[in-house]
Amino acid sequence: MINTSTFLCILRRSTVAGAVVAAAVVVGPASANKDPVTPKQLKLYQEAFMEEVRKGDLLFHGDAAMAEQLGVKLSTTGWACAMCHPMASDTHPHAFPKFQQSMAKFATLRDMINWCIEKPNQGEKIDPESEAMKALEAYITWSNTGSVLVPGKY
Amino acid sequence: MSDELDRIRREMHAVLQQPGVRPDDSLQITRRTFIHRSLLFGAASVGQTFAWWPLLNTIDVAHAAEAPFKFAWISDTHLYPRSLNTRFVDKVVRAVQEVQAMDPPADFLIFGGDLAQLGKIEELELGVELLKDLKIKKYYIPGEHDWYLDMGKKWGELFGQPNWTFDHKGVRFIGLDTVSRGPDYWTAKKMTPEERMGHMATLDGTVAGAWAGVGREQLDWMQKTLADWDKSKPIVIFSHNPLYEYYPPWNFWVRDWREVNDVLKPYTKVTNIHGHVHQVLYNEIGSMRSIGMLATSWPWPYAPEGVPKLTKPMIRVDPGDPFDGVGWGTVNVNADDKVDVEYIMWGRKEVFVQSPEDHDKSIEEVIRPRIADNQYPWENP
Repeated sequence: MINTSTFLCILRRSTVAGAVVAAAVVVGPASANKDPVTPKQLKLYQEAFMEEVRKGDLLFHGDAAMAEQLGVKLSTTGWACAMCHPMASDTHPHAFPKFQQSMAKFATLRDMINWCIEKPNQGEKIDPESEAMKALEAYITWSNTGSVLVPGKY
Repeated sequence: MSDELDRIRREMHAVLQQPGVRPDDSLQITRRTFIHRSLLFGAASVGQTFAWWPLLNTIDVAHAAEAPFKFAWISDTHLYPRSLNTRFVDKVVRAVQEVQAMDPPADFLIFGGDLAQLGKIEELELGVELLKDLKIKKYYIPGEHDWYLDMGKKWGELFGQPNWTFDHKGVRFIGLDTVSRGPDYWTAKKMTPEERMGHMATLDGTVAGAWAGVGREQLDWMQKTLADWDKSKPIVIFSHNPLYEYYPPWNFWVRDWREVNDVLKPYTKVTNIHGHVHQVLYNEIGSMRSIGMLATSWPWPYAPEGVPKLTKPMIRVDPGDPFDGVGWGTVNVNADDKVDVEYIMWGRKEVFVQSPEDHDKSIEEVIRPRIADNQYPWENP
């Protein structure tokens, strides 16, 4: 049986949820998810993704101009990510998150990227929310397209 | 496996793996482990925390003639200027110290290519300076990293002819140049020498193409060189790239492996020792066996496909330890017809996988080639 305070709580939550939905409808982009997707939209989405893949590919392969453009210093030794991970092999984005022995902690792919930047590459750790990080993540996951998710696997 | 790779693999199998054809029994690889005396160097010179358990995996090259002997192999040092990277320098110093300390001493050293990272004069000269401390006779073959900045000019000045041959205690040794015959990918795109080198120095690059090859005239030279050699006497061929097809996208092959096989087919005791792959590798191709050696600089992962079934893979490397997964090697030539290669992998008691989880491919992956080097300004016309 529902008592009064539980009822009021549900009512309050419903009101908040309703307000959020109403705001999304009023404020959100007018065309978002309302019309069937068009080939033009798909192309744009794909281009937006592939542009990040391209940037990530360049960063991953030690491209100095791209690192400068995105304001990062991924290495001070001449070493680039791709020198241990050609074609982003052995990066295993599909195995994260997992306990990562080298860090002795439960880690995400972004944690691992930063570990590699700091340790083998002796570069400067990057903001996990930065465009550089997202681009690296985009390239690594794109390159592993087709790999089957095995989160947690050693 | 891609259709193209699958086709090549089937062809290689049909051409080379004829029923009953395999290397002479005397050329079986043997593996043994023991603590290397270089242990003392490590403990004495650096206070590192990782285990000092170098493992030696020896190959004794065999022949029934003359005295047994041993020689050493160092390759893939990928030196940058000292001001940029001292880690790679430290590892060359260590390898040189250990080779110098061999007792009995090695008869000679083979340097298997990729002395420099970007082919710079400063890098090549640094390599010469570091190897100068090694007093035994040294032979050099080039790697692609040594070559494509000035197309082998400085390398030639330092080391002379890139291919050579000599006989030693009943074995014919041949050094091949498998790097200098890359297709011209730079002229039409008006690349600077640095840009040309940059593409060549990227293992997974898509621009330099199938650059690894022996070439017709060098094949003819090899044939002539072997013409007076008894078909049953041992031959050891050094090359930067493996003399078969393992994984072409990374030039883990020579593109003319069929022609190489044609030249070597009549000889029953052929051993190919190569660098470039930075990993433990073993294969038998027709009557030839092929052994991949460690780099001093860093280990490559095994390729996503094409690893020879006869390879017992090396152990998955700790990326936090710069001395793991790398090292050098020796080759023992015994009088009892046995060939032994010793892998000296620093910081490891076990070089080979001990369980499926020890293998870098224990996590299955599907990967694909990069794209950014084939877009503006380097897109194909």
